[in-house]
Parts: sequence; structure tokens; C-alpha cells
Amino acid sequence: MEKCGLYLGCNIPFKAPDIEQSLRQVFPPLGVEVVDLPGASCCPAWGTAPSFDIDTWLALSARNIALAEKQGVDVMTGCNSCFGVLSEAKHVIDASAAKKDVVNEKLATIDSAYAGSSKIYHIGHILHEKIGTEKIKKNLRYSLDGLTAAVQPGCHLLWPTKSMEVTEENPFFPTMLSDLCGALGLRAPTYSNIEACCGMGAMRSTDQEKSFILAKEKLVRMKEELNPDMIVTTCSSCYLQLDGAQKIFRDRGEIDFEIPVFYYTQLLALCMGADPAEVACISDTPRAAIIAEIQSEQRRMK
Amino acid sequence: MPTVNLTQMNTHEIIQKVVEFGGDGVVKCIQCGACASICPVSHAGFPLFCKQLIRKVQTGYEEEILDDPSTWACVACNRCVEVCPRGVNPTEVIFAFRRIQANELAISTSSLMSQSNLYEKGHAVLSGESKKLRVKVGLPENPPTSVNDEKAQKEIQTLLDNSPMADLGIF
Amino acid sequence: MAKVGVYVCHCGSNIAGVVDVAAVREYAETLPDVVVSREYLFMCSDPGQELIRKDIKDGLVDRVVVAACTPRTHEPIFRKALESAGLNKYFFEMANIRDQDSWVHGDDHAGATRKAKQLVASAVAKAANLEALEDTYVDVTQAAMVVGGGVAGIFAALDLANMGHKVYLVEKEPSIGGVMAQLDKTFPTNDCSACILTPIMVEVGTHPNIEMLTYAEVEDVDGYIGNFKVKVRKKQTYVDWTKCTGCGACAEACPAKVPDSFNCGMNDRGAAYIHFPQAVPKKAVVDMKHCLNCAGHKIGQEPRISKKTGEPMLAPCEKACAADAINRSLPWNPEGELIEIEVGTVVLATGYRVMEKEHFKEYAPDSPNVLTALQMERLISATGPTGGKLLRPSDGKKPKVLDFISCVGSRDIRHHTYCSRVCCMYMIKQARLLMEKYPDLEIYMHFIDVRTPGKDFDEYYTHAAEMGIHFIKGKPGGIEMLPDDRLRVLGYDSAMGENIEVDADLVILATAIELPEDAQKLAQKFSMTMDGSGFFKELHPKLKPVDTPIEGVFLAGCCQGPKDIPDTVAQAKAAAASAAIPLAQKRVKIEPILSEVYPEKCSGCGICVPLCPYNAISLKPYADRPRAVIDMTQCKGCGVCASACPSGAIILHGYTDDQIYSQIAALTQSA
Ligand SMILES: Cc1cc2nc3c(=O)[nH]c(=O)nc-3n(C[C@H](O)[C@H](O)[C@H](O)COP(=O)(O)OP(=O)(O)OC[C@H]3O[C@@H](n4cnc5c(N)ncnc54)[C@H](O)[C@@H]3O)c2cc1C
Ligand code: SF4
Ligand code: SF4
Repeated sequence: MEKCGLYLGCNIPFKAPDIEQSLRQVFPPLGVEVVDLPGASCCPAWGTAPSFDIDTWLALSARNIALAEKQGVDVMTGCNSCFGVLSEAKHVIDASAAKKDVVNEKLATIDSAYAGSSKIYHIGHILHEKIGTEKIKKNLRYSLDGLTAAVQPGCHLLWPTKSMEVTEENPFFPTMLSDLCGALGLRAPTYSNIEACCGMGAMRSTDQEKSFILAKEKLVRMKEELNPDMIVTTCSSCYLQLDGAQKIFRDRGEIDFEIPVFYYTQLLALCMGADPAEVACISDTPRAAIIAEIQSEQRRMK
Repeated sequence: MPTVNLTQMNTHEIIQKVVEFGGDGVVKCIQCGACASICPVSHAGFPLFCKQLIRKVQTGYEEEILDDPSTWACVACNRCVEVCPRGVNPTEVIFAFRRIQANELAISTSSLMSQSNLYEKGHAVLSGESKKLRVKVGLPENPPTSVNDEKAQKEIQTLLDNSPMADLGIF
Repeated sequence: MAKVGVYVCHCGSNIAGVVDVAAVREYAETLPDVVVSREYLFMCSDPGQELIRKDIKDGLVDRVVVAACTPRTHEPIFRKALESAGLNKYFFEMANIRDQDSWVHGDDHAGATRKAKQLVASAVAKAANLEALEDTYVDVTQAAMVVGGGVAGIFAALDLANMGHKVYLVEKEPSIGGVMAQLDKTFPTNDCSACILTPIMVEVGTHPNIEMLTYAEVEDVDGYIGNFKVKVRKKQTYVDWTKCTGCGACAEACPAKVPDSFNCGMNDRGAAYIHFPQAVPKKAVVDMKHCLNCAGHKIGQEPRISKKTGEPMLAPCEKACAADAINRSLPWNPEGELIEIEVGTVVLATGYRVMEKEHFKEYAPDSPNVLTALQMERLISATGPTGGKLLRPSDGKKPKVLDFISCVGSRDIRHHTYCSRVCCMYMIKQARLLMEKYPDLEIYMHFIDVRTPGKDFDEYYTHAAEMGIHFIKGKPGGIEMLPDDRLRVLGYDSAMGENIEVDADLVILATAIELPEDAQKLAQKFSMTMDGSGFFKELHPKLKPVDTPIEGVFLAGCCQGPKDIPDTVAQAKAAAASAAIPLAQKRVKIEPILSEVYPEKCSGCGICVPLCPYNAISLKPYADRPRAVIDMTQCKGCGVCASACPSGAIILHGYTDDQIYSQIAALTQSA
């Protein structure tokens, strides 16, 4: 079985551990052994070291990557931001021997070293490129035939292509997540602003109301263009925004619809028969009804 | 805004600084506007998005914009990097300016919180609820990260103590 | 003993601003063989040259060294001065103390002065060893070739033909016309492209001095100015052009479907087709790559006999042709025909292509409603895929909102850094034409900035703004595809400083002008060099704008760089005039800076033969064994053979071993 280092980041283990559970449950049956990276820290988030000092950022990222290197595995992240930070850091370090020396000098003070041997993947890439939709299909117990999803791949999964291990054929019109949804029987058509930012992360912490302009635009267009049964994302930040902000908009009377939001592996785990109490039980926008529908008897596959 | 007398602006100094902090593309920008048209920061209505920041720097602004929080709204989506026809890497210019701001401590208090979280536990984002939530889904109270790992925390503290960030007294 | 005169030029402040000219002059006086050393403000001026002429006439000097700029532009001038004073003009040597010294060492005056002294010492050492050489002359073949039959090639061919010269016009497509034939109307006067071009194409087709070779390509080039031998491949048309009347019946009958390149792939043509309605020559070809071999009638085979009727089963194209021009039973050679043509000069006018939209991922290339501007030309042309009706490709409905994006692939380091020069104007043209025809359209145009420097161009642009066309300063960064096949253009209005969006039915991309792929191959055949932008490079951007490093080969039109029709025609006429000069002179000079074999020393080993890049060397019997001989007319004086010959039997005149060694010695010992 192929091994891959699961890099958790912050949002998933602390705010959405049901996503962590789903990650831990879906990969082994699909042939990927999940290896923990004990002692891993924050990637570090864009608003921390990268906003203060380049070399400090690179050293902290390299320390995380080195944890995987030591075990001889590649890194997979569930959080788009972590994916972006780690990919970019690796790209910068690998491009310059001098940078690599600077980083390793810093790492030497903590008995660590960066070689550049581990690649950085997003879990979406592992699912789409390494496992593949065919294998996913073979492991399903429930089919989502007839349901429609609006997908949100998330910015850091699309750009900048120059520093990413795996890229979309056309990042402005992404298709990987739609393909992955298709494997579950789910219809996931594109929509006009599929590539747009949800406003989470730095923007939300800087000015929540401005960030909500983007989130609402996104939700409204999903609703108007697709009228989806659910939103599916591979970004934990997008997940938190589209789920949480949606409730705030409803509470304020700014929207009158309710679209349950799933992180892709949550949905995959449900389709593989996982217990919703473990893999999909924390959300602001209610999901019970759609989960019941998903795991209903008539959706069970023969 | 009163009229700006360009002859009284010191453009070289701030451009030099931005270049040193990693935004060397700032001099290549032709102000085409491509980045602005797709920038979430611009869409959300912040005044100092990529193109605008670059122009202000090219014009010699520094102190006038030092306290503007727009740069901190940049989500580093890097879409601007992908569409810029001149290889400016606008994200890098924004981050270079952020670094200038950060070194002058022109940052929000919530941001300061993230820095000390990072220093203490190795995580910028923490949640008081997390233990409860983790147990609820059947996971151990703590993830196998630095959050509960003193050796890892020490390592991170060593790296941060030996960085210019330590001089700012934010930990 | 040689009597060397040294003349140091100030070149205004170009040299004197950095190099201590007086010191260089004084130093030169101390060198062996130097009898006089002078300095002057501009040596190339008449009084400057007169200094040299006088010293020669006075018997003071018999070798001349000028320390100045580059021999590339100035050597001929000074050689002439020597000649007019009665001295062999090859007793001349130049030291380049400008381009190779003062210009590159502007911040080190002492160092630059020292280097100038060394360069002068080296030139003096060589000068003392120079030998007298004589020019030779060969006759010029009285014919020219023009490669490429776009508007550039058409005008170059016509001018040459009207001067009385025989012209071969080689065009790879079945018809001449190029991109201009695809255009609807043309800025800045909005005259119909076909109306102004067609009569001229016909003139070319009927000109007694022009032999058109269409559906043909250059395969190999040999020779030199005055005597080029060009192998041209006439591709197989599978249609007897002596019989074909251009009626188009075969094209109508042909069931094959091939994207019509003349209409930029917006509709299909048959495998049997006529290039376009006004084609010259108006002849059909069968594109065998896409032929379906209807009725099982393969080329070169007898048709099958129908069991029902007992008649031979012919393909539709054959049946349709009333002129009996298509006979598939004949043994047509798929390779066509290779012919060899001898000409004195050549004009390259192979034009350009526009970038396809697929390169621009952010601009929704998969949407059928995103078009390149050239596709738009076809869409509004009366001979285009919709007969000139403006229809949205996705559903054939009339569009209401159009959006133009400029600089797509131009001024963009991801593609081309240059400005394509014509896009601003043709976008405005298309918008104006559309607005005149459909006044209810809303048209938006995004520019980084509008560039309209030509004659009457800015007036053309400002009028468009007055017509109500919306000009927006700011490059869009993306396009979103809306559910109803419309496109949301994500823009930015620099003037307002605000983000804007346009929901458009059609988006038109002004994609960059670039050289087609096969241009590289053609360049190799003609030994052309490419400039930094990838176009054919002219010899000098200002002084030799249509010349190339290969004497006798000239450039015209967009193959040299993006330009509009007025500039293309002007350049074509300039190229024709330049190409006519050797034809008019009837003989060309061959400079004696060539390699020569001393047969007594040659061992006949043949090492040099394959090394010569110009195939100038062969082994010929001489006394007891074969020995190398160099064809003076083929040799370009590169010197590869001279440096490789193990017997030291080859000498490169003007660069003999003695001369080079004395230069090296002077360089290493001096200053
Ligand atoms: C959308 C658009 C609109 C335009 N509108 C205008 C306008 O309104 N007014 C204006 O002034 N200009 C306009 N232009 C510019 C105009 O098209 C060019 O200036 C002009 O076509 C250049 O002519 P050319 O002969 O150099 O090249 P081309 O027209 O490209 O002709 C080159 C010819 O050489 C042939 N060829 C290529 N390679 C070979 C080969 N290896 N062997 C043999 N033959 C070969 C080609 O088949 C072609 O026939 C426009 C351009 C575009 C893209
Ligand atoms: S896209 Fe690039 S060149 Fe254009 S304004 Fe933005 S940074 Fe400047
Ligand atoms: S045989 Fe003639 S009619 Fe049939 S596809 Fe070929 S060209 Fe067309």
C-alpha cells in the first residue's frame, strides 16, 4: 500500500475534526496508508511568518516538510492554504541552492534538515491523480445519482500553477473536483464563478463584512445557476465560510435558501458507508436531512 | 486627496525597500489592470489592492499607506500572479509591503494574537472547543501535532527566537 | 617596409567622451611601421577622409589603420577613400574602439584608453602584413524570386515585373492574397479589402513577367547573390490546372468535411476545394490528406465497375467536373513536382499568423462565442461562414453586446513582449463597421492603452468614441461563462479606478501576430537570422531595413515584424527596388576575403570537404592525386577550412596566419 504523510494544519484538527476523521477513514480502503507527521506545526499561515520574514517562513515550512522526508513519504494536505504555503515554500527553496543553504542553517539549530525529496499534494490531487475515479467508484456503498452539487475547489488549489505539483488543465475553468463528484454519481456542472474566492482567511479576519460580499455572491450564483442539493469543496477554509457565513446570511434575512456544505472526503466517507456521527457532524448549516437521503436504503448499491 | 507633488516624493527609497522584502516585480508593472480585475480584495471593495498598491509604491508612497489594512485582506490566492502579463508577481509585492508594515508593527491586534499562538503552540489558529469536538467525532483530544508536543514547540520557538520577528517583541 | 598611417576618430563624444584620444594617437606614433598618426572629430566625414587621401597621395603612407567605429557600416567608406587615392583598398584595417570599447567601458576611462591602445597596436601589426587583393565580378541571373504571395509579395513581384524583370512568385497556398484577402474592410479608410486587392491579384496573375507558382514551397536554396539556385516543390493538386475552369462544381460535390482555414475554422470545406471565391489563380485542388476516396476510387487506379449499371463508378468530384480536369485514374505523383529555378535576387514575404485562442486559458477558449479578431473579420465578411451576417456561433442568434480585448499575447512576457502594432486599429475598425451596420449594438473595448500613431489613425479612433463605442482603459484578467452562453468579462476601468464587468454575447480577442512554425525552416534554408521577437531580422534597423545578412535576399511585410498594410506595401516596394539593383547592375562584385587552397601543400585528405557549411569545397584531380578546390562563388570566407587543414594548405585572404599571429603578438605585448 502506498503511504502518504497527512499534514493536518490548524483548521481541520481544531475546528472541523470530522473532516480529519473522514480523511483517516477514506484513504486506507482506497489503497493509501495515512502516515501521521508528529510534531507538525502551522504551515505557517500566510498571515504569520510569511507576512514578516521570508526566511523564517521558509524554515518553518521546511521543518514541516522535513517531517515527511524523514519518513520517506510525500505530503498531502486537506487545507488549501497549507497546500499553497507549503508548495510555494518548496518552490522557492528548490529554485535556489543559496536559499536551501539558508534554510538548512536555520534547521540545523533544531536538528532538522530539508532535502527536497518529498512532494506536496492536496488530498484532491491524491484522489484524482493517484487513486483515480475508477477505484473510488469500486469502493462505494451508496450512490448519489440524481443529486446535484455546486463545487468549490478553492483558490490555492488553482494558482499559482508555477509552484504546484499537479495542476488543472485550465485552472480558470477547473474540472477535477467535478470529476471526483461524478465518481459518486453526483452531477456537478460548472457555474459562472466556480473559480472565484469565497472571501475566507485573511480577508475575513481583516474585514468580515467585505469578505461576506464575496461569500454571498458565490452562494447566490450557485443557487441561481444550479439550485444544488449540496455544496462540495476540497478547501477547509471555503468549507467554514460557505457553511458558517451562509447561516449568518440566513439569520440576517439576506438569503432565504439553505444548501448543506460538505468537504469532499466527508461525502466520500458517507458514500463508503461511514458513520455520519464521526465524519460529518459539525456544521452551522444543517446536513441531517441530506445525510439521511445519502445513506438511504434506495441509494444502497448492489 | 490634495494634489500630490511628485517632485517631493521619494520613490527610490520605498521601491528599494519593497524589492528587498521580496517584491522585486514592482518595477515591471505597467498598470494594465489585469490583476485588479480578478482580485478578491478589489472585488470586496478594499482600497489598496494589488494594482493600486503597486502604483502607490511606484509613486513613492510609504507612510501615507502604512496603516491601510487592505494588504492584510489579501488571501494570497495568487490569481494575479497567473494573469499578470509582465511577471510582476503582485502577491509578492503585497507581501513585501506587509513585511514592511509588520516590521513597523502596523498590524491589527487579532493578527498579533496569531503570532503568539504560533510561538506558544505552533498553531496560528486554535479553538477552545476543539478538544470537545475531537472527542465527539471519536478522535483523541489532541491531534498529533505540535499543539501537545513540547519538543516540537521548543523547535518552533528556537526558529522564531532566531528570526527578525523576535526583535518586534510580539511573542 | 610598410608605411602605416593611423587615424583616430573622436566620433563626437562617442569615443572621445571616454577614451583619451590624444593619448591613443601619441601611443600609435611609437608603434613599429607607423609613419604618421592623426586624430579627427569625425573620420568618416569628407574632411576626415581627405586626411587619409592626402597622406596617400603625398606618398606618406601605404597602409591605413582607422581607429573608430564598426567595420560593419564604415569599412566600405574608408576602403573607397583608399581606392580613390590610388591605393589598393585592402591595405586597410579598422580598430573598433567605439562599439567594443568606449560604449561598453563608459565607467572606466583609463581602462578604455588602455584597451584602445591595444586594439590600435593589433590593427597596426596586421596592417603591416596586409597583401594587395582584387575584387572579382560575376554575372547576375536576370530574374528574381518572391516567396510568399500576401500583399507584400504581390507588390514586390509587381514592381519587379514592371521594371522589366522576370519574377517567380512562390506561394504555399493554392491562391495568392495572404491575410489581406481574409479581411473585410481595411483601416484607416474602410475600403473593402477584396475590392482593392482583387484587381491587383488579377494583375499579378496576368502579368507577362510574373510566373506564379502557387501551392508550392521552397525546398532548398543554393548559391549566392546574382546566382541563386532554388528548388521549389510544386505540391500535387490532383486537378489538371490546364483544364480547370474554377467553376467550383467539384468543391460543391465533395462530401468530405475539413475545417476551412480561410474562414479560420468556422465552417467546413470539402477535400476538393477552391481557396476562396476571388482566388488567383482560381483553380481547385484536392486535399488528399482529407479525401474520402468516394466510390472506392483511389488515385492511380481504374474505377470499379458497377454491377448494376456496368458503368465505371466515379467519385463525385470527377463526375461533377465538366471540364474533365479531375481524373483520379491517372498516376498522380503524391510528391508533386520538384523544379529548379535560377534567380539573381530573392524577396522573402512570407507574412505571419495570428495566435489561436487556445493559448489564453483565462479567456474561456472553450466557449464558441470567444473569437479571435481574424475570425471576426471572416464573420463580418460577405464571403465568410455566415455570408456577412453577425451571428453568435453558439446558437446562430444576433448578438447584442460585443466585447473586444486588446494585447492578447502581445506585450505579455508569457507569450510575446512586442506590440503587434495593428490590433488597436483593427479592433476599432471592426467596432466601427459593426456599429454602422447594427446601430443597436453595445460595443465595449478594453485596452492597456490605445496606440494610433499612423497617418489619420487618431482621428479614426476619436471618431469611434464619438459613435458611442465604449473605450475602457484596463486589461481584463478573466472571463466567466454565464449559463446562457453569454460571457462575463472581468475588467478594470483605470480611469474610474473601479472593477467593471461586461456581460457579452461575443468576445473578440486581438491575438498577437507571430511567425508561423514553418518560417523557422524557411529561415534555415535562406540562412536568415531571427530577431529577439522571433521575426526575420533585417541587416540594420534604420539603414538597411529590407536587407539581410545574406546579400541578395531581402525582406518585405510581416515576416520582418508586425505591420499594417500601408507599411507592408511601402516595405514591399522598398524590397523590390533593392532587389532590382543587382539585376540592373548585371554583375555583382565578389570580395576577395575568401579561402584558397595551395594545391602543392594539399595532401588530399579531404577533411575540409564536409566541414564547409556552404559546400564550396570539392576534391579534384591535380597532378598525382585529388586535391581540394574551393569554388570562389560559393565560399563565404568563414575560414573553417583554413583552421582545420592539417597541412596548412588553405589560406583565408585577409586573415592569413601571419596577419593573425602578428595581431595576437601585438595585443599581448602592447600597452
Ligand atoms: C484581424 C486583422 C485585421 C487586420 N486589419 C487590417 C486593416 O484593416 N488595415 C491594415 O492596414 N492592416 C490590417 N491588418 C494587418 C494586415 O493583415 C497585414 O499588414 C498584411 O496582411 C501583411 O501582409 P504580408 O504579405 O506581409 O503577410 P501575409 O498576408 O501573411 O501573406 C504572407 C503570404 O505568404 C505565404 N507563405 C507563408 N509561408 C510561406 C512559405 N514558406 N512559402 C511560400 N509561401 C508562404 C502565405 O500563405 C501568405 O499568402 C489586419 C490584421 C489582422 C490580424
Ligand atoms: S497585472 Fe501585472 S502589470 Fe498589470 S497592473 Fe497588475 S501587476 Fe501591473
Ligand atoms: S473523392 Fe472527390 S468527392 Fe470524394 S472526398 Fe475526395 S475529393 Fe471529395
